[in-house]
Amino acid sequence: MKHKVLYVLVLASLILAACGGAPANAPSVVHVGWAGSPDTLNPGLAILTEAYTIFELVYDSMYDLNLDGSFSLSLAESVERSEDGLVYTYKIKDGIKWHDGKPLTAEDIAFSYNLYKDTPEYPYLNGYYTPYFSSVEAVGNEVILTLTEAIPNIESQLVFLYILPKHIWENENKIEFENTAMIGSGPFKMAEYVQNEFVRLAANKEHFATPPKVAEVIFQTFENQDALVQAIKTGQMDMITEMPSTAVASLKTAENVEVVVGAPFAPGVSDIIFNQTEEENCPTPEEGGICTGHPALRDRNVRLAMSHATDKQKLIDVVLLGLGAPGLTLIPNGLGVWYNNSLKDYEFDVAKANQILDDAGYLDTDGDKIRELPDGSRPLTFRLNWPSDSITAPRMAELLSEMWGAIGISLEMQAVDPDALTSQCCPAFDFDIMLWGWASDPDPSALLYVYTSEAVPTGSSETGYSNPAYDDLYAKQQTELDFEARKAIVWEMQKIVHDDVVYIIPYYEQATQAYRTDRFTGWIVNQAKVELSDTSSLVFIEPIK
Amino acid sequence: MNSSEPKQQWLIRLQSFWQTFSKNRIGLVGLAMLALLILMAIFAPLIAPYTSSSSAEFQVGDIYNPPSASHWFGTDDAGQDIFSNFVFGARISLIVGFFAAFISIIIGGVLGLVAGFLGGRWENLLMRFTDTMLVIPDLPLMVVIIALTKPSLLNIIFVIGLLGWTTTARVVRSQTLAVKSRKFVLRARAVGAGNAHIISRHILPLVMPILVVQAVLVVSLAILNESALSFLGLGDPTVLSWGQMLNYAFGRGAMSIGAWWALFFPGFGIVWVVLGLTLLGQGLEQVLNPRLDTHHLMPGRPTVRKDRVEAQTKFTKETVLEVQNLSINYINEGKPPARAVENVSFTLNAGELIGLVGESGCGKTTLMLSLLRLLPSAGQIVDGRVFFNGEDLTTISDEELNKIRWKEISIVFQGAMNALNPVRTVGDQIAEAITRHMPDFPKDKIQARVIELLDLVGIAADHREHFPHQYSGGMRQRAMIAMALACNPQVIIADEPTTALDVMIQAQILELLDSLRKKLGLAIIFVTHDLGVVAEICDKVLVMYGGVTAEYAEVDTIYNEPRHPYTQELIKAFPDLTKPKKKLTSIPGYPPRLDNLPVGCRFAPRCPAVFARCHTEQPILHNLGNSHIASCHLVEASK
Amino acid sequence: MNRTRALLKKIAWSAFTVLFVIILNFFLFRILPGDPARAGIRDPRLKKEAVEMLRVRFGLDKPVINCFESLNPIKVGSCAVNPLDTQFFIYTRNLFQGELGISYHTNRPVADILAERLWNTVLLIGAGQILSIIIGVVFGIFAAWKARTSVDYSAVIASLLVWSLPTFWLAILLLFWGSNNGLPLAGKSTPGSSSLPLIQQWVDIARHMLLPTLTYTIVYMGEYTLIMRSSLMDVLSEDYILTAKAKGLSTFQILKDHALKNAMLPLVTVIAINLGFTVAGAIQIEAVFSWPGLGGAIVEALGRRDFPVLQGAFLLIAVTVIFANLLADLTYSYLDPRVKVD
Repeated sequence: MKHKVLYVLVLASLILAACGGAPANAPSVVHVGWAGSPDTLNPGLAILTEAYTIFELVYDSMYDLNLDGSFSLSLAESVERSEDGLVYTYKIKDGIKWHDGKPLTAEDIAFSYNLYKDTPEYPYLNGYYTPYFSSVEAVGNEVILTLTEAIPNIESQLVFLYILPKHIWENENKIEFENTAMIGSGPFKMAEYVQNEFVRLAANKEHFATPPKVAEVIFQTFENQDALVQAIKTGQMDMITEMPSTAVASLKTAENVEVVVGAPFAPGVSDIIFNQTEEENCPTPEEGGICTGHPALRDRNVRLAMSHATDKQKLIDVVLLGLGAPGLTLIPNGLGVWYNNSLKDYEFDVAKANQILDDAGYLDTDGDKIRELPDGSRPLTFRLNWPSDSITAPRMAELLSEMWGAIGISLEMQAVDPDALTSQCCPAFDFDIMLWGWASDPDPSALLYVYTSEAVPTGSSETGYSNPAYDDLYAKQQTELDFEARKAIVWEMQKIVHDDVVYIIPYYEQATQAYRTDRFTGWIVNQAKVELSDTSSLVFIEPIK
Repeated sequence: MNSSEPKQQWLIRLQSFWQTFSKNRIGLVGLAMLALLILMAIFAPLIAPYTSSSSAEFQVGDIYNPPSASHWFGTDDAGQDIFSNFVFGARISLIVGFFAAFISIIIGGVLGLVAGFLGGRWENLLMRFTDTMLVIPDLPLMVVIIALTKPSLLNIIFVIGLLGWTTTARVVRSQTLAVKSRKFVLRARAVGAGNAHIISRHILPLVMPILVVQAVLVVSLAILNESALSFLGLGDPTVLSWGQMLNYAFGRGAMSIGAWWALFFPGFGIVWVVLGLTLLGQGLEQVLNPRLDTHHLMPGRPTVRKDRVEAQTKFTKETVLEVQNLSINYINEGKPPARAVENVSFTLNAGELIGLVGESGCGKTTLMLSLLRLLPSAGQIVDGRVFFNGEDLTTISDEELNKIRWKEISIVFQGAMNALNPVRTVGDQIAEAITRHMPDFPKDKIQARVIELLDLVGIAADHREHFPHQYSGGMRQRAMIAMALACNPQVIIADEPTTALDVMIQAQILELLDSLRKKLGLAIIFVTHDLGVVAEICDKVLVMYGGVTAEYAEVDTIYNEPRHPYTQELIKAFPDLTKPKKKLTSIPGYPPRLDNLPVGCRFAPRCPAVFARCHTEQPILHNLGNSHIASCHLVEASK
Repeated sequence: MNRTRALLKKIAWSAFTVLFVIILNFFLFRILPGDPARAGIRDPRLKKEAVEMLRVRFGLDKPVINCFESLNPIKVGSCAVNPLDTQFFIYTRNLFQGELGISYHTNRPVADILAERLWNTVLLIGAGQILSIIIGVVFGIFAAWKARTSVDYSAVIASLLVWSLPTFWLAILLLFWGSNNGLPLAGKSTPGSSSLPLIQQWVDIARHMLLPTLTYTIVYMGEYTLIMRSSLMDVLSEDYILTAKAKGLSTFQILKDHALKNAMLPLVTVIAINLGFTVAGAIQIEAVFSWPGLGGAIVEALGRRDFPVLQGAFLLIAVTVIFANLLADLTYSYLDPRVKVD
C-alpha cells in the first residue's frame, strides 16, 4: 500500500516535471537570478544593493557611474561650475519623458534634490549626499545647485540621488510611500513586483539615451545561492549576480555558461579590526565609551608582527577559494585611481614577526607558548569577535588562530550577534579584535573618514586610531578641487595608515557572476568592475538568433 | 544491612528489567545504534583520521572531493575531512541532546510531580501554565530568543532545555495522579509519612520508568532542534555540529557541485542518533509499560481440525446447538499453550435455558466466545466441534459464519456500557443488526421494529435517539438484549448479563430473559458465577472449573445430588437460594492460573475431599446416566 | 450539562493565553540584548541624528512602560508618564487596531508583509497536512488492522524513520533530486506567469509546490500513522468491536461504521497541537525551497534582525495555534457525544 502511494506521488511529480519545464523562455525576456530582493522601492529608505540595482534601471540620475569608475553626464547636456566651486548649473536635455508619458523637467530634478535634502529620515541619501547642499532651484530648463562648501566630488554626491517624478511624489507621504508602481524615466519600467519573489521590468523603448534591445528583464529571488547556480546550469536563468565561491570551479566547466570574476560594482573590503584606542581618546561614558582593549594592541610592533604572521593568500584560498585580491587599506583596488597601488604589503614571514615581538620585549616568560606583555602582567591573549551571520568569518578566525599561534599569540574566539557586536564596537571600544567589513562608495572620502580622530566618538571609527597628521590631510582632500592634487593626498593618507598598521586588510572580495552564452550576447565583461545587472549590460544585450 | 537491602532491590529490579528488555528487538537495536554513536563520540580523537577543523594543509583543489580511501566521507567546502568532522560532530549533538533534555526533564519532572501530588489549586495553576507553554510554538520562540542572545552552545542548550519540558510535565503529572491514589501510598500517608518521604520512596520509583521513556524522546527532540537551529544559522559558529555542517554545505555550493556527500552524511548522523533514540524509547515503553498489542479484528487462529463433518448424532428438531469435546488453548510465543477449555460438551435444545457456572477465570467466557469463533487472536480451538443445526461452526468459512452470527446466535455481553458503541445512538446500533442480516426488511419499517424491540425490553421509544452514556446501567443491559433479539435468533448467549447491576435490576433482567424465552421460544446459554440465579430459571447446568467440566446435569440433579466437591462447595455457599445476592467467596483459595495448571485434578488444591490420586491424575468425565456427568475420582470410586 | 458556560470558560482561557503571548512577545524583545534602532541599519557611519530619527520613527524614544525607560540595560524612569504614551501601551493599542508596527528592513507595515506571506504558508501547510493526514490515517488503519504482522512492523519502523528525519535535511535531499529532474528550485510561481491562462498558472504553482509539499507530507505522515495506529488499536480492543463482530459485520463494515470515527477523535486534538510543530517544519522547508511564506519571512527577518517582523510573525503564529487548539477542543466536544464539556 505504502509503495503504491509513494509511486503515485512520484508519478505525479514526473508528470509535472514533464509538462513543460520552465515555461519556455520567451526569446527576449532576460531571467536574472539573485539571492536578494529590494528592501523597499522608496529610494530614500532603501539600503540593500538589490534596491539600488533596480533604481539604476528604472530611474535616471544626473550622472552615470561607469564600470571604469568614471562618471558621465546623463540627464543634463552640459554643466557649468562657478569659479568658487559653489554653484553648479545643469542644462537639462529636452524631450525626456516619464514612464507615464509626462515630460521630465528641471522642476522634477530640483524637487527630487530638495526632497532628499529636507528629509532627515532618509538615512543614506540625506546623510551622505546632501550635507553640502545649500539650495536647489529650477530655472527654465536649468537646475542650479548651490553648495555650502566647494567639494571635489560632486559627481559621486549626485550619482545615487535618483530623479523622482514630482507629480507623483509631491502628493505622497515621503516616508510611508512604498512606491510599488515606481514611475521613473530610466531604460526599464516596473511591470510587476512581488517582494522576495521577483521584480519584472519591461523595456522603455523610448528611453532618451539607451533604449534596451530586450523586451523584459525578470529578477528572481533565490533564498539560497546554490539553487541559483543550479538554475543557470539548467537554463532556468540567463544570468546570476552571485554564487558561492565553491561553485565557481564547477560552473566554469558547465556548458554554455561563462563565469566572470572581477572587482564588484560597490567594492567590498574585509577587515581585521584592532582596538587601539588610547585612554585619552576614549569616548566619554556619555558618548558610550568603555574602552577595554588589550594594551598590547596599541603597540604598532604587535600589530606589525601580526601583519607579518598573516598569510593573506592562504586566507583568500581557504575563505574565498582564491576569489579575492590581497588587501592593503580600507581603500579597495576597485576604486581605481584612488587606490594607492604603490604601497608594498608586509611580507608573510613568521620568523620576522617573532623577531619583532622578541625585540619589543614580548616574551613567553612562563613557558605556556603564549607571550606576555613586557612587564609580564598579561599574556597576549586577545578576544576575537565576528558577526554571527557571517559564513566566512568562522573559517577566517580559525586560520588566524593558527597563524598567530605561531608567534605566541592566542585568541578567545566568539561569534557575536551583529547588533551586539555593533554596540561592543563603536564607540564603546569594548573588544580586542574584530572581523568585519565595509562596502565602499565610489568616492574614497567615506572610507577615509573612518580613520579620522573625529570619527572616534561618533561610532564611525572602529579602531580608535588617532593621528593629527592624517586628520589634516583628510580635511585637505575634502576641499581640494584639483583631481591630481586630491589623488596625491588620498594616496599619502593610505600610506600613513598602512605604515601605522591600523588594520590588517586580508582581502578585497571579488564579484563572481555568470551568464549563459546561448541566450543573449553583448554582456559587458571587459571592464575594471563586473556588474552584469547594471544598465550597461542590460540595455546592450540582445537575444541570440 | 539496612542500606544494602534497597540496593539489592534495585539490582534485582534492574536485572529483571534487563531480562525483559533484552528480548525486545526494537529496543535493543535502538540501544546498539545509540551506543555505537556514543562510543564514537567518546573516542573521537582516536577514530577521526584528521584533527577536527584544521585548515592548515588546505589546497584549493581539496574542496568537495568525493569519498575516497583517504577521505571516507569526502571533503567539505573548506577541504576538511567530512568523516573527521562527522565523528566530532557527534559530540556536539549528544552534548546538546543530553544536557538540554536534562534541563527539560528536571523542570517537567518537578512541575509534574508537584502538580500531581499537591493537586487542587496548585495543580490547576501549574497545568494551566503548562498548557499555555505547550501551545506556544517552540521553534519560532527558540529562533527569536537565540537571535536576540549570543548563539553559543550553552545558550542553545538552555533555550532548548527551557522550552522542552511541557510534555514531560503532563506525562509525569498524570502518572503521579495515578500512583497517588494507590493503596500503599494511602497507607503510607495514613501511617503519617511526610510528603517528602512519600514522594521519594513511593511515588518517584513508579514515576521513574515513565520519566526515562520521556527523557529518551526529549533527547531526540533536542537533537533535532539543535540541528534545525544550526541549519538556520543560529548555531554556535565555533563548534561544528552536524546541523552546522549542513548549513555550510548548503550555503556554500555543495548542491550545485553535486557534492551529495557533504549534504548526506551529517544528516545521516542526525537520523541515526534520533532513530536510535526513538527505537530505544519505543522499546523501553513496551517493556516498562506493556500493552497487549491485540484487538478484536486480528485474525483468530484457525481451528486445528479442518475437516468438515456432518453431525453424527441425529439432530432432532429440538436440538439446536451441540458442543462436543471442545478444547481451546491460548497460544503465547515462547510459552507452552494455556489450556483454557478442555473437553467440554453440552447440548442445547430449543426453548431451553442452560446455565454455565463457575468462578471468574474458569473458562466460561472463552467457551462462550469460541462458539461463534470470537476468541482473541491467541485463542485456538484445538479439538472438538460445535454443531449448530447440524453445521460445524468450528470449520465453516468466515462468510458462512457471519451469516449465523447474530442472525441465529446472538450475544448479550457483560458490561453493556462498553459493549455498545459510545458514539452511535442505541437505536442506530439496533437497526444496524437488522439491516445487516435482513436486507429485505423494508427500510421504512426499521424504526418501527426498533421501537418494538425497545418496547419489548421496556424502554420508551424516544430513548432510541440517545447515546449509551445517557442510559442507566439497567437500561443499557436491556437495550443490549433488545439488540440481541433484533434478528429473531434461535440462540442467545447471555454472558453474565447481570453482574455490576443492583439487585432490583438484576431481577428485572432475569425475569425479562425468562419471559422472552417463553414468549419467543429462544434457547439461552446463561453464563454466570452466581449459582442462585441458575436455580431460578435454568433447565440444565454446566459447572466449569479451571477450564474443564466439573459437573453437567439437569438443574434439579445439580441441586439435589451434586457429585463433584466443587459443585457441593458452591451450593454450600448458598444455603438459602432466596438470597441470590450472596457472592461466591466462601471457597478458600482461587481457581488455578491457566498457565500453571496442577498436574492432577484442577480442583485438588482447594478440594476438601482431596486424596493422593487427585494430585497425580486428572479425572475423566464420568457419565452417571440420565445426562449427568461429573469429573471426579470420587465418582469413579462410588460407581 | 452547562455547555455554554464551559464554552465561555474555554474561550476565556484562550484569550488569556493570547494575552500572555502578547506580553511575552513584547517584553522578550525588550529584555534581551540588542538595540532595536541599531538593528535595522547596522552601519556605524549613520549619524547620531539619523539614529535618533529612526528611534522616533519606530517609537523607541518613548519609555518602555511606566517607571522604566528601558529594560536592557535596566534604566529606571519616571512613573508619572502617561501610560498611554509608553511603548507597551502603544504596542497593545496598535495590536487591537490590527497594526503590528513597521518593518525596519522594508519600511512597510508588518501586517501587510505577513498577510502576503500567510496565505502561501497556509497553502503549503494545508496541502502538506491534508496529504500527511490522509496517508497517515490510511497507513495507520492498515497497521492497526494487520497488527503484529509484517505490514504493521514495516509501517511502524517506516514511521519512526521518517519521524527521525530532520525536516530541512529531507528538504535538501529532495531539492537535490528535484534540481536534477527539471523541477523549479525556488519560489511559488514562475515570474511572469501571471499573464498565462489560469490553468497554466495553477500547474505552475503545483510544480513549485510539489517538493515542499512532498517534504512536508513525508515528515509528518509517520507521526500520524503512529497516532492513528495506536488510537485504532485502542478502539479495536474495545468491547463494542467484539459486539460488532458478533453481529456478523464484515471487517470493512466494522472499521468503517464502528472504529474509524472513534479512532479519529484523538487525532483532532493531535492535529491542532501539531500545528505548532508544523510551523517549525514550515520554517525549515520554506528556507530550503525559498517558499515565500511566513517561515521564510522569519528566516529573512532573522538575518536582518528585523524585529518588528519577527515579533509580528511570532505573535501571528502563536495566536493561530492557540485558536486552532480552541477550535479543536470545540470540534472534539461536538464530535464526541460522551464529552460533557466540563
